[in-house]
Amino acid sequence: MPSEAPVVMSVRGVSKRFHMVVPGQEIKTTLLHPLRAWRASHRNRDLWAVRDVSFEVVKGEFFSIIGANGSGKSSLLRLLAGLSKPTNGSVETTGRLSTLLELGSGFHPQVSGRENAILNGLLIGMTRAEMEALLPSIVEFAGLQEFIDQPMRTYSSGMYVRLGFAIAAFMEPEILLVDEVLAVGDARFQEKCYDHIATLQRKGVTIIMVSHDLSAVERFSDRAALMERGRMVLIGKPQQVVTRHIERLAETSPEIRRALEDGIEELIATSPEAKERFDEALKVNPEFLRMQAEKQARGQDDATPEPPSG
Amino acid sequence: MRTPGERSLRSSFELVAALTSRDLQLRYQGSVFGWAWSMARPLALGIILSFALGKVLGTGITAEFLLAGLFPWFWFQGSIQAATSTFVSNGGLLKKVRFPRAVLPVSVVLGNTMQFVLSLPVLAGFLIFSGHEPNLAWLALPVVFALQLALIMGAALFVASVTVFFRDVEHITEVVMSLLFYATPIIYAGDRVPDSYQWVTRVNPLAPLAEGWRGILLDGELPGADLAISAGLTVVLLVAGWFTFRKLEDSFADAI
Repeated sequence: MPSEAPVVMSVRGVSKRFHMVVPGQEIKTTLLHPLRAWRASHRNRDLWAVRDVSFEVVKGEFFSIIGANGSGKSSLLRLLAGLSKPTNGSVETTGRLSTLLELGSGFHPQVSGRENAILNGLLIGMTRAEMEALLPSIVEFAGLQEFIDQPMRTYSSGMYVRLGFAIAAFMEPEILLVDEVLAVGDARFQEKCYDHIATLQRKGVTIIMVSHDLSAVERFSDRAALMERGRMVLIGKPQQVVTRHIERLAETSPEIRRALEDGIEELIATSPEAKERFDEALKVNPEFLRMQAEKQARGQDDATPEPPSG
Repeated sequence: MRTPGERSLRSSFELVAALTSRDLQLRYQGSVFGWAWSMARPLALGIILSFALGKVLGTGITAEFLLAGLFPWFWFQGSIQAATSTFVSNGGLLKKVRFPRAVLPVSVVLGNTMQFVLSLPVLAGFLIFSGHEPNLAWLALPVVFALQLALIMGAALFVASVTVFFRDVEHITEVVMSLLFYATPIIYAGDRVPDSYQWVTRVNPLAPLAEGWRGILLDGELPGADLAISAGLTVVLLVAGWFTFRKLEDSFADAI
């Protein structure tokens, strides 16, 4: 992480509370069941999706946020994107921010790909002239040359995603927010997306990604953060954060625990080198052994074992 | 440092224009007569009412009298009705993309306004055909037009924003619209309203507008002091609509 680089996103003490009751429903309950409404108002029905999260991201950094389902990752990303306002705290950004939250939201099926692309660009904050200049590269990247003037109802879902990604990718963002979007599309296009993200990274674009794709997180990130029940419990090196995440998952889910152990056993059975290291590590510290083997189970080829701390 | 969400004014204007034109394009896509359909309702209603009220009930009301009121009315009603659901039906967009939220109701209103403007030559043609020559008072039409547009914008912003949190507003609006149609001097002249009920036309900002359209178009009469009161109410409504929207817009993405 280039520590001298300027801070481009600063998140201070951000919390987000959701009321568990639909507001309209509340009025209805008050009108029809005053007693129930009175009782409900005395019960705590708030859900803190994000609690007191603070961190800073510097220019050019690739920052990943991981966590189990419902840990508040996506809510946090929405707050970062300015799509919803934090209940407490503040989010400040410098530079043009582009979101890859859900590709192709706002596409209208009756309108041509070209018009949808232009409208999408306008929604994101471009001008028409800028969009028209970018359109040829977008169309080429998405591989839609012969389809761009057809109404989008004729597109396959893969074509939808490709156009959506291409638009977002060519917005020349200074900060790019990426949600779980790259899980869609075929493997070849996914690879193309990651290639493009790597290109952006080289150009100095700051990228903040929420993902379940842990190998991608380790591959690209400079830093990663782990979310747990709305709190950011760990910020650090991607490997370290991913390891903690998997440990926590294993603690809470017996299936994951078992799958991991199976993976370790298989690795030891097939690779004599791994077996050797396993035995060695076991002599030093059983806890270390487990961590190291887990890393290997995920295809990590980290041959320099660090001495265990405790 | 700044908070996310700033953009150039140019981009916002182009966004409104693009949404408006898409809206119009979609509405008449694949229909043979296209925008002519926008005039079907006021024309049909004008003709049938001039028969029912004018001929059957013998009130002497003419088709041109009705049409001069019905065209602006359908502009008002169509815009508000379309605007109510605009935030709710674009929920996906509001949750995923950062853009000035006001462009949604504004572009819906502008689409309906375009449609109204395009129908004006037809109305004018009909009036001239029935013997109402254009006169100098017609130059005052832009004033009435601008006032009504402001009134529509204010009401549209208000109902669209509140509907997000209280879906019943969509149905309430529908009911209010049918009441308002009869509370506004469209199928009758304002001076026919008994003195004891004159207050109804005074609290209704649409009433002086309807009278204004008709006075100018049919009789070459400029609107009087009533329109000033209506203008005052319109400004209040526009400001109220705007502040309601500003207060609620931050929670749209969470509430939908």
